[in-house]
Amino acid sequence: VLHTTRALHTAQQRLAPLPPLPEKGGEVRYGLIPEEFFQFLYPKTGVTGPYMLGTGLLLYFLSKEIYVINHETVAAACILSVIIYGIKKYGSDVAAFADKLNEEKVAKALSVKNEAIKDLETAIEQEKKEQWRVEGCKYLFDSKRNNVAMLLETNYRERLLTVYNEVKKRLDYQVAMQNLKRQKEQDHMIQWVERNVAQSITPQQQKESIAKCILDLKALSKTAQAAV
Amino acid sequence: MNLSFFDQFTSPYLLGIPLILLSVLFPTLLFPTPNNRWITNRLSTLQLWLLNLITKQLMIPLNKKGHKWALILTSLMILLLTINLLGLLPYTFTPTTQLSMNMALAFPLWLATLLTGLRNQPTTSLGHLLPEGTPTPLIPALIMIETASLLIRPLALGVRLTANLTAGHLLIQLIST
Repeated sequence: VLHTTRALHTAQQRLAPLPPLPEKGGEVRYGLIPEEFFQFLYPKTGVTGPYMLGTGLLLYFLSKEIYVINHETVAAACILSVIIYGIKKYGSDVAAFADKLNEEKVAKALSVKNEAIKDLETAIEQEKKEQWRVEGCKYLFDSKRNNVAMLLETNYRERLLTVYNEVKKRLDYQVAMQNLKRQKEQDHMIQWVERNVAQSITPQQQKESIAKCILDLKALSKTAQAAV
Repeated sequence: MNLSFFDQFTSPYLLGIPLILLSVLFPTLLFPTPNNRWITNRLSTLQLWLLNLITKQLMIPLNKKGHKWALILTSLMILLLTINLLGLLPYTFTPTTQLSMNMALAFPLWLATLLTGLRNQPTTSLGHLLPEGTPTPLIPALIMIETASLLIRPLALGVRLTANLTAGHLLIQLIST
């Protein structure tokens, strides 16, 4: 049997949502008799009405021996007193325990919800951070592009320098070759001239040149003496 | 009317109408019907907590397949517990003091366990007829004894419950007066 909600005589039965449980149960006097009984008798008999009814009934049963006092009466009295003592002493503790059970149930469900919310919030934070990072990527890419361009430029210049050096080396070689050739030719020619001149100088010419040199020297010595 | 000590064990009649059914079904009124609330009132919470405790105690030693018995065993236990405890109050009648009711409970359940065992694992259930580690000459005698004990079991179960309850309630009455 499921407790369903249904507006009286008007609506279909509805399984959910259930109306909430009332905060406190029905008001009860002496733990047994509902308050509505006293309210029911109040207009006719006033405040003492139900008590008179109860006392009268009890005395009627006893006097007419409809209820006989036997050993079970004593047993009933003892058991009743023990039960009432137990309820008075431990009632609030048991109620607190039942409330604690319910609280734990609700707390478990709430904690699941709260943890889910927290996880989602951290996920949102991380997502925002990622978005901020993506914005910063533009600068990153620019600098990377600059880097790459500089590398290319440097490489190009280096290669240009290499080419220049290589070409210069080859041209220097050619120049050196030409210089060497000219030098060799010059040397060879000088040697040939010197050889020929040396061969052409006859002994006669040698004597004549020496005599001439001595005459020159004498003339010079005369003039030189005069200068001193 | 003078009450003797045995009046609590007579089946109650009111003007010739047997009230035995009422007295068996009354304890079921004390447990609330399952409603689809998640947070129930204090009484339902406490009773559900108690039921959970009993069921866990019963079912932990069993493997998954044994959990099929959870419902019937727990409900049986709770019913008997309530009936017996309510019988301690004065002017109440305990149905389980009647041999008829206990035999009605014991016989079908015993037969159910026997037949289930024979159907699912015939060799193991027949093997239970011989305790482990018996010396060889004793085997035929022991098998006869175990079979006899198996067949006597429903009678034993029923009479055991009846006798315990009757003796217990009677003893309590005697001591309390």
